[in-house]
Amino acid sequence: MTTDEAVGEGSRARRLGGHLVLGVLSLLCAFPVYWLYATSLRAPEDVYSLSVLPWPLSTASYAEAFATSDVLGMLLNTGVVAVLSALGQLLIALLAAYAFAAWRFPFRRLLYLLFVGTWLVPFQATMLPNYVLLSRLGLLETLAGVIIPTLCSALGVLLLREHLNGFPKELLDAARMDGRSSWSTLWTVVVPALRPALAALGILLAITAWNEYFWPAMVLQRSNAVVQLGLRSFLGTEGNDWGPLMAMAGLACLPVFVLYLVLQRHIVNAFVRSGLK
Amino acid sequence: MTLVSRIQLRGLTRRFGAVTAVDDVWLDIADGEFLVLLGPSGCGKSTLLRMIAGLLPPTEGTLHLGDTDITHQPPQRRDLAMVFQSYALYPHLSVARNIGFPLRARKLPRAQIRAKVAAVAETLDLTALLDRKPRELSGGQRQRVALGRALVRDPGAFLMDEPLSNLDAKLRAGTRAEIAELHRRLGATMVYVTHDQVEAMTMATRIALLDQGRLEQLGTPAEVYDRPASVFAATFLGSPAMNVLDATVLTVDGTLSARAEDIDLPLGIDATMPDRPVRLGVRPEHLTIAPPGEPGIRAVVTGVENLGSEEVAQCRSGTARVAVRGTRPLGVRTGEALTLTARPEHLHLFDVGSGRRLTWQPGAVPAAV
Ligand SMILES: Nc1ncnc2c1ncn2[C@@H]1O[C@H](COP(=O)(O)OP(=O)(O)OP(=O)(O)O)[C@@H](O)[C@H]1O
Ligand SMILES: [Mg+2]
Repeated sequence: MTTDEAVGEGSRARRLGGHLVLGVLSLLCAFPVYWLYATSLRAPEDVYSLSVLPWPLSTASYAEAFATSDVLGMLLNTGVVAVLSALGQLLIALLAAYAFAAWRFPFRRLLYLLFVGTWLVPFQATMLPNYVLLSRLGLLETLAGVIIPTLCSALGVLLLREHLNGFPKELLDAARMDGRSSWSTLWTVVVPALRPALAALGILLAITAWNEYFWPAMVLQRSNAVVQLGLRSFLGTEGNDWGPLMAMAGLACLPVFVLYLVLQRHIVNAFVRSGLK
Repeated sequence: MTLVSRIQLRGLTRRFGAVTAVDDVWLDIADGEFLVLLGPSGCGKSTLLRMIAGLLPPTEGTLHLGDTDITHQPPQRRDLAMVFQSYALYPHLSVARNIGFPLRARKLPRAQIRAKVAAVAETLDLTALLDRKPRELSGGQRQRVALGRALVRDPGAFLMDEPLSNLDAKLRAGTRAEIAELHRRLGATMVYVTHDQVEAMTMATRIALLDQGRLEQLGTPAEVYDRPASVFAATFLGSPAMNVLDATVLTVDGTLSARAEDIDLPLGIDATMPDRPVRLGVRPEHLTIAPPGEPGIRAVVTGVENLGSEEVAQCRSGTARVAVRGTRPLGVRTGEALTLTARPEHLHLFDVGSGRRLTWQPGAVPAAV
């Protein structure tokens, strides 16, 4: 009995310590986000106040943000960019990964390595050629110009192929015996079986595209069509307009939070299953 | 419906790099036949079946269904159904949709699909499980769903790759009988892969015995068991395996007999021939214990195994091991010295070099077949 208690006490203390550390860390992570929303809800004259609770509450900053810029239009544009970019990457990654995993063709390995190798090429190396190409195509300052160069992602191909490699080959053979072509096998057998992985990857890609700042800034130049660029309009040489800035940033974060809350299980699953953890 | 579902394999060969998995196999599978491809692990059974299915192109040779050359036709056009060793059920579909999958691929009207699925489920006793997902089924139930998915199509022939290997012994015996019964009722051609000799003996109308990619022997279960074409065939079928001993065929007083230091067995052939070394085969159940002094195989019992209704006595004769099988009790004890005899028609002779069966042809020396 006594020895049992000693063991129990020791491990309880360690558990308590562990929870304490985790608690402090999550507070550290959550605090800036809290401060963002707190600032956005202060009255304009309290914006520099350091009180932890924003009081009195005021929606003046939101009103100003909506009055000075087309917030809803920006959110909509950003949504379109995020969704199309994610869907495009998913579709291309799915087709490529399926070909690499299910077919035998000459130079398969080499092609795959090249494909994945593009992942290692830094963005800075491709941005100028991409920019020049877009300008020749007349796609600068358009949403299409933001979306098209992001459509193919080596990361998606890599992750989906790993999933497909674990996919039982006999199922593909069975579908062929049952009269499905390769194309219809993809849609009737592979996609339904990979749905959790596809959903998770899609969410990750969409969030990444939503948060992107630099590439849209290059393509869209002075126009503020997406919300991350809209934030610029509140930053000025003679000082920043903190209230509306925080209000808009808060709005920009909301869809990501909502997506995360609703699909949390899928996202965590995807990380675990793709071995990224 | 294909009426002519005779399948012909003409010199099928498949290589994987340096490995020859299937080596020049010729087979003529008649309409309505239950052909079992039998052989040890890695002998190329699955490879051969996958070539018939169209899932794997042959390196050489051609394949004919009825009168058409189907060597280059994709599986969808071959009208063959396959049952996989792992069952390969679609994990995201219910039992009903799994069974109906091949019909949906053929764009049959929905009402017709539903009716056919219901009929197949009825025959396989799956009606209560139609709404379940594969992961909610037991191994035996999954196996029946896999069978149902093949049955629902009315295919020209069924291909089965070790469909019972994941079942426990009792379920296996039951399912074996069900599949044999199904074959009788449908009269469909079946090509069935197994490494289990009991399945082969009980279900097959003919057995194709494979070894290292080559067709070793083709015949009815009785033919393959009673007249094995080689030492390999002789020792692969039967439990315990056939005893194979080194001996020499000698002419004694105008009749032939097999002799070695501890062996003296008359072959029952009145003839003369030059002495010839052979491998002498005799099945454990064909050996009987002779009174002392009789000619036969002299052996010492090293152990007795109880199989319930029968007993197997493991013996040693010189350096060779000999098993004797008979109704229990055999009445022998470990350490006892025995003389074992067998009737001449139960003795098999094989060539020492090639291992092929030797048959007596009057007027000639024994020739390899
Ligand atoms: N895709 C492949 N690549 C390379 N070698 C292969 C391939 N498939 C089969 N082989 C080889 O071909 C030989 C025959 O394999 P196969 O799967 O046909 O054997 P099997 O008789 O079905 O055995 P088992 O009873 O274990 O299923 C084996 O030596 C195997 O290693
Ligand atoms: Mg096999």
